[in-house]
Amino acid sequence: MTRNSDSVLSRRKFLIASGAAGLAGLAGCTENNTDGEGGSGGDSEGTDSSGDGSNELSGTIDIAGSSTVFPLATAMGERFQTEHSEVNINLQSTGSGGGFANYFCTGQTDFNNASRPIKGEEETQCEDNDVTPVELKVATDALTVIVNNDNDFLGEGLTVEQLQTIFSAESTPTTWSDVNSEWPDEEIEIYGPTDASGTYDYFIEAIIGEEGPGHRQDYSATEQDRTIIQGVQGSEYAIGYMGFAYYSESTDAVQAVPIENDAGEFVEPSLDTALSGEYNPLSRPLFTYPARESLAEDHVAEFARYWMENSTSREIVADEVGYVPLGEDEQQEMLDTLNAAIEEAN
Amino acid sequence: MATDTDSGYIDSFGQVSRTTGTVFRYLLLAATMFGIVTLAVLLVYVANDAIRPLTADLGWHLTFFLTLVVPTTVVGGYLARRNVPALKLGGMVVGMLAVFLMFSGGVAIVFVDIIPPLTGLSYVVGLLVPAALVVVLTKYEQQIPFTLRVAATGAAFILSLVGVPGYFHSIPEIVRQLPVVPADWMILTLVLGGVAAVVVGQYVARIRENTTAGLAAGASALLLTGLAAVVGPTLGVDANAAAVVTSVAFVPTLAYAGGAAVTREQERIGLLLAAAVVVGSLVGAFAVDALGFAGPQSWVDWQFLTSAHSGTAENAGLYPAIGGSILLMATVAALSFPLGVGAAVYLEEYAPDNAFSRFIDVNISNLAGVPSVVYGLLGLGVFVTYLGQPTGTVLIGGATLALLILPIVIISSREAIRAVPGDMRQASYGMGATRWQTVKNVVLPEAFPGILTGTILALGRAIGETAPLIMIGAPNVLFNLPTELTSKVSAMPLQVYAWSSLFASEDFYTKAVPAGVVVLLAVLLAMNSIAIVLRNKFESEN
Repeated sequence: MTRNSDSVLSRRKFLIASGAAGLAGLAGCTENNTDGEGGSGGDSEGTDSSGDGSNELSGTIDIAGSSTVFPLATAMGERFQTEHSEVNINLQSTGSGGGFANYFCTGQTDFNNASRPIKGEEETQCEDNDVTPVELKVATDALTVIVNNDNDFLGEGLTVEQLQTIFSAESTPTTWSDVNSEWPDEEIEIYGPTDASGTYDYFIEAIIGEEGPGHRQDYSATEQDRTIIQGVQGSEYAIGYMGFAYYSESTDAVQAVPIENDAGEFVEPSLDTALSGEYNPLSRPLFTYPARESLAEDHVAEFARYWMENSTSREIVADEVGYVPLGEDEQQEMLDTLNAAIEEAN
Repeated sequence: MATDTDSGYIDSFGQVSRTTGTVFRYLLLAATMFGIVTLAVLLVYVANDAIRPLTADLGWHLTFFLTLVVPTTVVGGYLARRNVPALKLGGMVVGMLAVFLMFSGGVAIVFVDIIPPLTGLSYVVGLLVPAALVVVLTKYEQQIPFTLRVAATGAAFILSLVGVPGYFHSIPEIVRQLPVVPADWMILTLVLGGVAAVVVGQYVARIRENTTAGLAAGASALLLTGLAAVVGPTLGVDANAAAVVTSVAFVPTLAYAGGAAVTREQERIGLLLAAAVVVGSLVGAFAVDALGFAGPQSWVDWQFLTSAHSGTAENAGLYPAIGGSILLMATVAALSFPLGVGAAVYLEEYAPDNAFSRFIDVNISNLAGVPSVVYGLLGLGVFVTYLGQPTGTVLIGGATLALLILPIVIISSREAIRAVPGDMRQASYGMGATRWQTVKNVVLPEAFPGILTGTILALGRAIGETAPLIMIGAPNVLFNLPTELTSKVSAMPLQVYAWSSLFASEDFYTKAVPAGVVVLLAVLLAMNSIAIVLRNKFESEN
């Protein structure tokens, strides 16, 4: 700044002149306002579908439900999101039942993942809130029973009857020798998912029986599969069960128990044995339930299609997440179901 | 006396053993150090996992040792012996630069990615217009009745921000629909640079006691920001980023350093330390680049800070969670500050001393100790179930966290207000001031630094909370920044929790989780350091 000691006026003149010059300079740097209303494309208000298919998809997709399907949904969401950056995908792991009761059937979420089919009472709850679930199978899981790496007394594996004895509410053995007198007289530590989990429900259905005494309740229940692994890893006489994907991430930490199938063979859980049907009765289908009402929105429908189209992908479903992908026929069937639902929704 | 051990001749006196006392003393020392050392070991372990300094070339370490560590130690050692206040000044400038650089990152997330600059500008204009009206109204304070003034002020803000649907567009809308708008970097320069210029101008005007100097400083601050935005792209730096970093980090630090250099002759030599650190880092970075030494393969890298969650730990990032935490903090501050300070002023200055106010006193103290998960449940019950709001949004999360820290804000604000000497109030009354004038002109200005410190520390607690966010159903994984108050939000601690629990693989546990912890702690330390500096500064002034 020039400073003339005698006059305030000249300083003011200088300021005005420099200001004007600055304004003129700035004016040269303006740009045409291209986005008119509502600022730039970062605005995520457009959750509704405009019929115009050429538009970039945008909006929010909320997904809750099974912790077993969660990694698969995350993998699909991540890929979909890189292709459609304006779509916000929010994922939550709440357990199948928790997701239906607290989020999906109250209309909070667009998808609910489940590691078992929806129950009658849940369908009623959804119906009361005008939410129509559409059942889509996304993969097959091998529900895996795990024990500590130092556990060597189980030998060949466990039979379904032994599993039933260990986990049912009726027998509640406290030591391993209560189950089989040849096994050590040590306390059994049991870890498993909570009753909000579809894994829990499926375990009851497959092992204990729906009509049976039910699942024992004196065990360490958690919705965090990592906690189950840590618990079993930490104690030589612990046992637990969970989805195969989490086990496949931690094969060094714990060992999977071979289970006797209906042919009388002890089979270890793996993608191959689950696909071939040798690993039974613990292999099970995994589902996601989009709400038909949400499928009316383009971005939700497009994500559901994307998921189904990639449900046969070995790379995503098997290698990255650790489940058995759908077969071509199953995929076609699911796509037909989905397209019919989308049609109905619109 | 008994300690006189040489006097062995007198049998009857005996000796008093010092052993008990010594043992007691060192036991106390051990008690003091136990927690700190344990935590330090843990943090070093986590930081080592996250930053992995040992993966760097030896040459890399050597280069930075020569260019950064040696000169800094020499200068620091010299200052520590000769001139401790100067050392403090130097440390202050370095710390300020580091903390403000971090905050400039946060500001960039908010004002570039979350709020598009044009939208931001539109609201700034929408607020400035009625604010100008208020200034005019205040000039005629005496002529216009109070109610009319309040009504006019309220109407001006509402008209400007909301407009009259169908008749009159709100000012932000008008601005957004202008056919020609400034480029993004210009908006950022105008808005952020403008704020920085005003702050710097006032600071310089105050320390130089010279309005012209203040004006000049403000103008040069604005010019510098604009210059950075223009020159930045030629150096490969995005213009928007250059404008933000310059206005938020460089301009304030420069102004502080410059002000100190001019006014504090005894201490200005301390700026050498800051120069040694800055120049040393730059020279080191260039040298390492030129010589081709590889730095540490840290998990806390640019990719980690700027990308979203991914299925593989190497590609996973914290970006949406960082943005979420910032938005949550803004919401929490906006809600808890007025409520908390208001309650504190009432309880300290107005409330009569009766059974009711004592009842409230006790309850506020108790509320401060209620576990956070209970507040989470409260948030879920009140906002989601009762009011029917969607789960896990910025607004719900912010409101729940605000409830959580409200008692802390109230208590610390009350402490600050109580620390204002009663004499000052009496003097104000003695001059004929009303209670309202006393509170406004004497108590609040005097207590403000204390209130601010308490609020920042409380925000530090809120930023680390996970349980309430889980309770209100915040998503475990999301891929985009929240852009509105109704967007779903994740936060840094929640993301770390999700990585450590839902993604059971060893990869996440050893890579993404420590990196997340380091970022979270860095933000927390930055916030706390500001609170401490504020407190020390105002304590030393009083």
